[in-house]
Amino acid sequence: MTAESMPANAMVPKSPAMIEARGVEKWYPNGFHALRGVDLTVQRGEVVVIMGPSGSGKSTFIRTFNALEEFQKGSITVDGIALNDDRRKIDAIRREVGMVFQQFNLFPHLSVLDNLTLAPVLVRRRPKGEVLSQAMALLERVGIAEQAHKFPGQLSGGQQQRVAIARSLCMEPRILLFDEPTSSLDPEMVREVLEVMQGLAADGMTMVVVTHEVGFARQVADRVVLMADGQVVEEATPERFFDHPQHERSRQFLAQIL
Amino acid sequence: MPRVTPTSLRKELFANPLDGLVSVLLITGLAAVGYRLLHWALTQAQWAVIQANSTLFAVGRYPIEQQWRLWLLVALLVAATGLSWGVLRGLPLRDRPITALWPRNDRIGAIVLVALGSWAPAALGLTLSIQVRWWGLTGLLLLMRWLAGRYGSRLGKAATRALPLVWPLLYLVGMVLIGGGLGLVPVGTNEWGGLLLTLVEASFAILLSAPLGVLLALGRRSSLPLLRWGSVLYIEFIRGAPLITLLFLGQNILGFLLPGGLAPDRIWRAAWILTFFSAAYLAEAVRSGLAAVPRGQLEAARSLGLSLPQALAQVVLPQALRIALPATVGQFISLLQDTTLLSLIGLLDLLGTARSVMANPLFLGKSAEVYLTLAVLFWCCCAALGLGSRALERRLNPPSLGR
Repeated sequence: MTAESMPANAMVPKSPAMIEARGVEKWYPNGFHALRGVDLTVQRGEVVVIMGPSGSGKSTFIRTFNALEEFQKGSITVDGIALNDDRRKIDAIRREVGMVFQQFNLFPHLSVLDNLTLAPVLVRRRPKGEVLSQAMALLERVGIAEQAHKFPGQLSGGQQQRVAIARSLCMEPRILLFDEPTSSLDPEMVREVLEVMQGLAADGMTMVVVTHEVGFARQVADRVVLMADGQVVEEATPERFFDHPQHERSRQFLAQIL
Repeated sequence: MPRVTPTSLRKELFANPLDGLVSVLLITGLAAVGYRLLHWALTQAQWAVIQANSTLFAVGRYPIEQQWRLWLLVALLVAATGLSWGVLRGLPLRDRPITALWPRNDRIGAIVLVALGSWAPAALGLTLSIQVRWWGLTGLLLLMRWLAGRYGSRLGKAATRALPLVWPLLYLVGMVLIGGGLGLVPVGTNEWGGLLLTLVEASFAILLSAPLGVLLALGRRSSLPLLRWGSVLYIEFIRGAPLITLLFLGQNILGFLLPGGLAPDRIWRAAWILTFFSAAYLAEAVRSGLAAVPRGQLEAARSLGLSLPQALAQVVLPQALRIALPATVGQFISLLQDTTLLSLIGLLDLLGTARSVMANPLFLGKSAEVYLTLAVLFWCCCAALGLGSRALERRLNPPSLGR
């Protein structure tokens, strides 16, 4: 990523944490207790990988960061803004938080290029010409500039996910959330997406990634968090987590996926 | 579409003895019915009833000296049709380039139109001056089709975007031409009739029920309880009542419900009832379209910072309306046919006019001729709606790997 497309203060080390979650609890309307007091701090420029068995609440947890999920107890602060019911604050946070979904969620009725330019023009009210050249540069960066005028349905899964990442980047977010970005990809396409994410991390992007990709976590993550039953079980550097897990629950989980 | 050849026909119709038997029976049956109908229409039927009343069927008792306004309107409509036809044809099917100015189907369509335009008025025994006008209209249609197909693509996206606005605009122009005002002599609604009245009522209801139906569908899925329950109540009430009872009810109570001046007479009251009725059914069609758009679309749009109205307008509705288009056009077609109920509340729409003609002792026992004419007229209108919507649908579908 070019220097000017990174938010300026992402480089400043001693500012408050990018995400500060304290004692987050969530109940679904059917009474299921999905999050049971989760704490997490993500510093600027950090890459945090969240792992855990399905149903452990990891997707639900990162979806609370941009208010796609509500929570009932605890507090979440994103880039210094406290998340509460204030609609304007939620909108402000969503502009700064990018999200990449398991199912890509590209807009099928828009061309690849229009997928990228829609939000910057509509939400940030930037001039279309400027956004277009930025969008082309981003597509170049994720390696699919030649597909700019195609429609999402004409691309492979890996290409779609790379477009989705470029679409998020086009809003110049301060943090990117990844919700199992490679889980619905064919195996041969996983690598092209992980390489793009690795490049982002190298450029200093703050990222929270829910994934089962152990290789990616080992190489890229600053910290690995294991969640189970709506709680954080273990939080450690990748080396410690994968080579010397401290908790029985972590050892069980690793035995299943390794 | 696969090419039809003698071999493919044999394979499809006579693959095994049972298929062959069914095919033979069906073909003989169809041929017999078709032959009898043609035989009756060409030798036994007495079309004088249609010839003598052609003006009545077309426009009712609209004053003769003002009918040039209707001819002008028809010319404008024909021009707009040719324009839309040409521009739609000029749009590539996204993954397929435009191959010719006049593709095969269009050549067939043009030949049929020329044949109809030159034969039908003569066959109906219309006066020469009216026959000439029909030729002129046919020529205008094909000319506009040619111009739009030839030069439409040069105007680019702007022309395509402006096209849907032509029709509502034309409706306003049409209302002035029909009803008078702006320097034209007023013609009261009690003098409108026949096909004119049918089309005025149907197009009013189509144009207004479309936005109303979308709003109701959004209301039904809203998270605000009052809005949601209000929409559900409205939709279920309207869908639970037969249109004819609503029409009778409307003649009595609509004057109180709508602000003064919106429903001054019976014709506009009926038009509003048709609108309200159609909107409830459209809402259900749009709702099914909304339900078919994956939840992730709204989430992705919101996570990019789009507000709810922006996300609905730019992401969800374009997809939902495309999915709902066939059901929507189906609703418009049945709305057009439902206008025949207006004859039961005493309006002289196409069916009402027909009934008054058949009640005339001069034309006793000619109901077969009249009803067949009505059926053909309605069929033409519905076929036009269906053709237009299918063309639109194919061009709105985003291309995918499989196609």
